[in-house]
Formats: sequence, structure tokens, C-alpha cells
Amino acid sequence: MNTDELEQLLVQQPVTLLHRLARGRVHRHFRAGKKRLIELLLQHSSQNRAGLESDLQALIGEQHARSESGSSHIHLPPTIARKKAAPRRAESESAETAVSLSEWLEGIGVPSPQPFVPDPWQTEALSAVRETDVVISVPTGSGKTYVAVEAARRAMEDNRTVIYTSPLKALSNTKYTEFSRIFGPDAVGILTGDRQENGQAPLLIMTTEILRNLLYDAASGEIDVRLDTLGLVILDESQYLADPERGVVWEETIIFCPSQARLLLLSASIGNPQDIADWLTSIRSTVCRLVRHGKRTVPLRAGYLHPNGKLTPLFKTLGIPYGHSSQLHPEAKQLFFEYEEETLPAGRPRR
Amino acid sequence: MPPSIHPVDLITALRHKHLTPAIVFLTSRRACDEAMETFDHADLVLPPARQEAIAVALERITVQHPSIAEHPLIPIVKRIGIAAHHAGHLPSWKIAIEELMRQGHLDAVFATTTLAAGVDFPARTVVITQSSIRKSRDFTDLTIGEVQQIAGRAGRRGKDHVGFAIVTPSPYIDLTVLTKGLTGQPEAIDSQFTISYPMVLNLLKAHPHEQIQGILAKSFAQFQLNQRAELLEQKLDALHVQMEPFGPRVCTDWITQWHTFDHARRHRHTRHQTHRAESPEISARLPFLTAGRVIGLSRGRGIVLRQYRSKGQKNSMLTVLRSDSAVTECPVTSVKEVYDRTYECAETPAYPWCSTDTFDRLSHHLEELPSRLPVLPILVSTGIDPLPDAIVQSLGDFPCPTCPSRPACHKDFMTASRLRQEQQRHTKSIQALRTSLWHRFQERVEVLQKFGYLTPATQLTIEGDWARLIRIDHSLLITELIRAEAFTGADPSLLAGILASLAHDDDRPGAFPRISPGLSSLLGQVRKLAESLSPYEDPPLLRADVAALVERWVADPSLTWIGLCRLTTMAEGDIYRLLARTLEFLSQVQALKSTHPGLADSASQAITLIRRGVLEELP
Ligand SMILES: Nc1ncnc2c1ncn2[C@@H]1O[C@H](COP(=O)(O)OP(=O)(O)O)[C@@H](O)[C@H]1O
Repeated sequence: MNTDELEQLLVQQPVTLLHRLARGRVHRHFRAGKKRLIELLLQHSSQNRAGLESDLQALIGEQHARSESGSSHIHLPPTIARKKAAPRRAESESAETAVSLSEWLEGIGVPSPQPFVPDPWQTEALSAVRETDVVISVPTGSGKTYVAVEAARRAMEDNRTVIYTSPLKALSNTKYTEFSRIFGPDAVGILTGDRQENGQAPLLIMTTEILRNLLYDAASGEIDVRLDTLGLVILDESQYLADPERGVVWEETIIFCPSQARLLLLSASIGNPQDIADWLTSIRSTVCRLVRHGKRTVPLRAGYLHPNGKLTPLFKTLGIPYGHSSQLHPEAKQLFFEYEEETLPAGRPRR
Repeated sequence: MPPSIHPVDLITALRHKHLTPAIVFLTSRRACDEAMETFDHADLVLPPARQEAIAVALERITVQHPSIAEHPLIPIVKRIGIAAHHAGHLPSWKIAIEELMRQGHLDAVFATTTLAAGVDFPARTVVITQSSIRKSRDFTDLTIGEVQQIAGRAGRRGKDHVGFAIVTPSPYIDLTVLTKGLTGQPEAIDSQFTISYPMVLNLLKAHPHEQIQGILAKSFAQFQLNQRAELLEQKLDALHVQMEPFGPRVCTDWITQWHTFDHARRHRHTRHQTHRAESPEISARLPFLTAGRVIGLSRGRGIVLRQYRSKGQKNSMLTVLRSDSAVTECPVTSVKEVYDRTYECAETPAYPWCSTDTFDRLSHHLEELPSRLPVLPILVSTGIDPLPDAIVQSLGDFPCPTCPSRPACHKDFMTASRLRQEQQRHTKSIQALRTSLWHRFQERVEVLQKFGYLTPATQLTIEGDWARLIRIDHSLLITELIRAEAFTGADPSLLAGILASLAHDDDRPGAFPRISPGLSSLLGQVRKLAESLSPYEDPPLLRADVAALVERWVADPSLTWIGLCRLTTMAEGDIYRLLARTLEFLSQVQALKSTHPGLADSASQAITLIRRGVLEELP
């Protein structure tokens, strides 16, 4: 395809498609009109022409598939509309299997109170952290705090100092309140750069940066005696390891964490928790235990709410179809298609 | 159709389907505030009992955080049971909203996605209206991990049977990003390890230079680099096997030899002028003078460790290993012979340009070389006007035309040469992966030596010994300012103002409070220095307005929080963060008590002065 042909092809496409093509290519593409958008895309194509062309072809293919799947009758030329017979049957089949809104909304409510029983992964993590470093990678809301609290309690019972770090001062404050409630105000202290509250308490809360600084001071001989009794270091939100600016602080902290202290890394689900565990094993004195699971404790359902107030399930399935992002609910698919057709080309005022 | 659902309709729909409490994630603080405003005239009023409950809960929170007592948003929150929560708010207000939500008093919160990243704040439902977020000035698509962090707020353990993540379109939405995010595997974490000046100083304070490489090797960065290197090593092993049929023939290095020969043949008629400044004899030699090559010099032999160009004269130079493990530099012109013998050489980016192993091995080889070595015939291009005769003649110098392995070389050259190139490429990449951290460390060391924080023997100087305590962004600029005595005699408010302009990295605009002449001239000095340091450290924004704002807060203890907020258009939350960051920087300066008592004292005065009102409430 030469540039003229490419431009020709771009001109023939609806603006929605161009916007989709522009995502990740053109900064603030949603502010551009069709003509300008094509200009920008052509400009961009000098960087990766082949990529642009193949994405364009894919989108055009998708567009056809989409329009054939029976959603919009108004916008389509009759030729395409007539060709729809076969795909339409497939579509109606899947519509049969798709979950209905009332099924989707079923079961909302508050469970009756249950006695607290730790999950197996929580028990596993707690018994492991007595002996070794532990990396926990579980979905948000699973109950990592319980592990942190119980591990801290046991270490304190053994007269060990516990340090708990969070990435943000705001989180440190919340945890300070929460842990003070659990262990009593005397047992919990908080350290910031310029302030210590209850600095002699056995459980100390601070940001990871502050701990890193303490460890550097200790390494250069300005030993805070308390590091000798350090038994457990809990690094919450360890997925911050991947933070472009601050991730390095987690690495420094882990590298310099005293070997007699156990490390407990709490993290939301990440793609390579085994790598983190293997890394810890390779540099620390114990074999790091990885505790992970990907299943949410409270099941999640996804929905689609149209600007006109209509609510439908987002996927055909009741729960999230993990690994199958394209299993959209036919109704959601149609509504969103209409939304894109109507809103994007007009270049309406944006919120 | 409206580009997105009206907030009142949204909440009505959620309430109607029992999908509250909900967190509605919006693209910006503005969007959150505007969404709240749409309720001003809506008749979505809570029953009196619930309003009362909110009032009671808020009062309890106010005991600990008095600053929220008069918060302008209290009436609306009470009336409708809906609140906004974003970085423009004071931490105490955000804590109050979080607490109300936890206690179940609110039906919905409009929030920005920053909330998803760090606050323990669950609900029955989350509403997602965007598929990209603003990250340092640019919009980027949400990652799978981020989508799941956001969706993860839905469904409270013990309070919900099910959680709901509801997508509602806005012009900022790409549905595939969200469906992929909801159904996909979160991304793998990649190390973001960087080597900062304070890291170098602190490492060298505690460990001798020769141990540092081992410490850097403990980083997750190196762990991941090693993973990549191992993959390449496997490829390299496979290449070695593929290379087996192409081992030494009549000449050891037949591939290079054939390459040159072939090149000469092809260019018999179209010889180009060489662009090098050197004579053709020298140019022709260069491709052969690579690491590991045995050469003859006027006094004895040596093995090439590296080829480079001298900075001044741009002559081609060699670093050569001589007998008794001496390493010398010599111009290529002094090479008498190039021998047809090379040894493997694991190159490194710094003196002595090869690994210790290689160095020992090469020294050994050098002592053991036989007295007679085959000389590599090198075709010399004659330059400007090639005479066919000369070429024919020089082709005659090659053993190739009559060599018994000629047909084999001819047949195998393409494959062998491609394989060898791949080998060389992989070897180089592996080398780089294994040594890049160390290399970066060395670069930092050189800068610190240049500025006198480290001795040539990489020990901390007196300056380095205190400078290592400044462990924040822009550390080089701060320590250089201290050394330049920029702060000498400066009172606490000036110091705080300057540090504020260093600490504040947000480019959201703020209106300009009047700036004092003292601060203005000091800021000018800081700018100049920052600019001169820019090859070594990215300069900070150095915003005068934030400097002036903090200066005022410190200089005028009678200034109230409300009064301070009136001086600027910055949001309360931003002012708070600015002051909190300034405190962090000040506390680092305060640590210099023993070497800079006056400065440290000024810093601790500034800290005391900053910590008042709202800034007293939280540790
Ligand atoms: N084993 C359990 N059984 C029932 N509820 C639990 C259990 N473990 C934790 N929880 C509850 O789950 C909720 C979420 O826990 P939290 O620790 O905040 O999650 P995370 O930190 O993993 O995001 C809390 O309300 C907690 O009390």
C-alpha cells in the first residue's frame, strides 16, 4: 500500500474506526475531527507503517464481522444486510445462552454473619512465615490484612519487632488507626520523616522509603539497636515494585532487609509472582514460599449501563469469562456499537 | 444521545437495582466535583434518619480531625448520602468519607482512579467510565492489573454475596481495554531499578567498591536481566552446535578471510574511496584487529583487548595485552604483523576491557605462543584510483584462489558468516545484560568523583559523607546548593520555600502569590545551578508560586489554612501534599545536624512552623 492508497482507505472508514485505530498512536485523538485524524495517522504511519496497516485491516475485518452480527440495521447498506443470514443464526444461538438481566441481578444482598474461619491460603501463609519469607499474590479484597495482623501478633508474642510498610502516607495512617484498635495504642507506632509517634512500640508503621533509609543508616554503622530484634517486615502493596519512580525503593529495602527478619510481601494479583519468590530465594537465607490464588472470594459480575439508563450484563456469562474477553453479551455489544456510531463522529462537546 | 449518563440518572438506576453502595470512577477531579453539583437541584434526598446517622458519624470523626468540622461539602453529603473523594481534598476529608463508606452511610462516592491504587475502600458496585488514565501529562490505557484493582473494589467480603463492575461509556472509553482487563491475566512485574547518587554514596559508605557489583547483582533488576541472558545463552549454545561444521580450516579464521577475499573480488572494479583518515594499509587491518587477535609489535607480540579511536587525533588505537600481563595502548600504525590466530575474549566495558578470567587465560596463551605463527594476509585497498593490476596482484596475495578448502569456503560462507554474526550479537547482548547495572553504577561514581563526593579510590569524601543523608529526588542539586552556601543565613521560610519548589513535581497550575525579593533572587540562583547540573540530573520544575506559598505559610504563623488556600488556585489537597513533601525534604536537611548545624536548625524551625492547623492532624 502506498501512502495515497492508505489515505484513500482511511478516508473510506467511519470515524469510529479511525478513532479506534488512533488509540495509542495519536495523543488526544478524540479531540480531532476526521480530516485531522487522517492527517495525524498518516504522520504517525512513518513510525510503523506495517503495524498501522495491519491494525487497519484487522479493524475493517472486525467492523464487517460486527455489522454482520446483526446489531445495527440502520447504518448498513443493503448488500451487507442481506449477507447476514448465516451469522445471524449463530448470533441468536448465543443470545439464547447469554445470561438474562434478572439472572444477572439475582443474589444481591448481605450474607448472614458467619463465624470467622481463616481461608486455607491464609493459614498456609501464616504457618510458612514462621520459618521463611513469604510472597502473597491474591486478588484485592481476599483478606491479606488478616495475614499481616496475625503474623505481626505472633512475632510480637516472641518479643520481636515488626515493621509494616505501605506505599502511601494515607495508607499508613489508616493502618495506624486500624492496628492501634486491634493491638492497643501502646503496641503500635508510626514513623514519618520528621515525626515519630510511639517510636518504641513493637509494631512500627512507616512508608517503604522510611524503612529504606533506616536500613541504609544501619548498614553504615549508625545502628538503630531495634533492628537487632527485628523479626518480621511486612511490605504491603508490593506490586509497587513495578512503579517507575518508586519501585527501586522496594528493591533496596528487600536487598538490605536483615537476614534474621522474615519478609512478608503482600501483593495484589500480578503476572509473575513466582519470579518474585525465586528472586527472594536467590538472595535471602531461606527458600521463599509463594502463596497465590486468582479466584475472587466474592464473585464478580460485569455489567453495561447505557447512557439512556438501560442496564445489561456485559458478558454472555453470569461471572467474568476469564480468558475470553470477546464473549460480550449481545445486548451490550449492540448498545455500545450504537453509542460509538453516534457519539464519536459528531465531535460533540466532551465532558 | 448524551455522551455519558447523567450522574443523577446513574445513581437512580443503581439505587433502583439495589446496586449501592457504589464507587463511581471518573476521569478527573473536575468530573467528580461536577457530578456532585448535578445533585444540587435533584430531589434525591435521604430520609431524616439516615441524614441524622451521617451527622453523628461525622461528628465522631471531627473529634480526631477538627479541620473537617466546617467542610463546605458536609451539607450535601448529609442530604443525599453521596460524596466525592479525590486528591484535591484534604487527607482528613478523605478519611472521613472512607469512614462513612465503611460504616455503610453512603450510597455512592465519585472518585478518581488514584483511589483504586491505595485506599482500602470497598463497595458493592464499581462503575467504570474510562479506559485510560492520566499518567504524567499523557493518557495511557489502563493495564489489566489496574482494571482489576479497580474492579477489585467491588464486592465486600462478609457484606456482599456478589460484587458488580459496571461499565458505562463516556468519550474516553475503549471497551476492549476494559473487557481484556476484566478477563485477562495481570501483567508481569518488571524491575524499575535505577541507580541514584544517594544510593551510590550509601553503598560505598557501607561496602568496599569491589563488593558493590555483588550487591547490585542481588537486585530484582539483575535477576530479570539474568533471565534474559540465560535465554540468549541457550540460543548461543544452539548456535555453537550449528557452527560445528564451520570450525577452523586451512586458516583458523577462514570466515573473516573469505569475507575479505570475497569483498576484494566483488569490488575489483567498483572500489570506493575509504572514508577513514588512515592510510589504506591501516584501514584494511582494522576489521582484523578485534579483541583476542594476536599481533606482532616492534618489541614482541601481544593480544588485542580492544580497538578504539583516540579522542583528540581520531587515530585508531589498540589496547594490547603484552607479556608479563602488561597492558599498553598503541596506535594501529605500530602493528607490524597481524597473525592468523585469535582467542576467545569476554569483553567488558571498562579497564582492562575483558573479564578477569579472560585476562588470565590470555596472559597464559601469550606466554605459550609458538615462535612461528601464520601471518594473516590482508588485502590493502589502494584507494582513489584502483588499478586492476594492483588488485589482481593483491588477490594473488590471498591464499584462497589456490587453497584446497576454497570450494567449501565458497559454499559455506553465507551460512557460517550469518551464524557467526548472530553469535557475536548474542555474546555482546549477554555481556551487556550481565554488566549493565555495574556500568551504570560506574557512571554515577564518575560524576560523584567529578563533584568531589568520592575520592579517586571511590571512598566518601567529607562532603560525600554528609551528602549520602540526602536521599530524595534532586539530591545532587540540593547538596550542591548546600555546598555553594546558598542557604547560609537564609531563614526557615526561605529554606522551606526553595525546598518546596524542588519537591513539587506537579504541573497543575496555581495562581501566583506575591513573591519576596529574597526568595526570588535565591530561586534564580537555584535555577542557574539546576541548569548547570542538567547533564547529571534532571532539573526540577522549580515553580515560583509554590515556593512563595510555602514561604508565606512558614513566615506568617498567623496565616490560617483558609487564608493560605485563598492565596492560590491550587486545590486544598494539593497544597497539603506540597507542604507534606516539603516536610519530607526538610527532614532530610535536618539530618545534617553534625556537619551543618545552622542549616539543620533552620530546617527544624521550618518543620515546626509548617506543622500547624491541618498539618498537625496527621503524623
Ligand atoms: N477468612 C475470612 N473469612 C471471612 N472474611 C474475611 C476472611 N479474611 C478476611 N476477611 C474479610 O475480608 C475483607 C477484605 O480483607 P482485606 O484484608 O482488606 O483484603 P485485601 O487486603 O486482601 O485487599 C475484610 O473485611 C476482612 O475482614
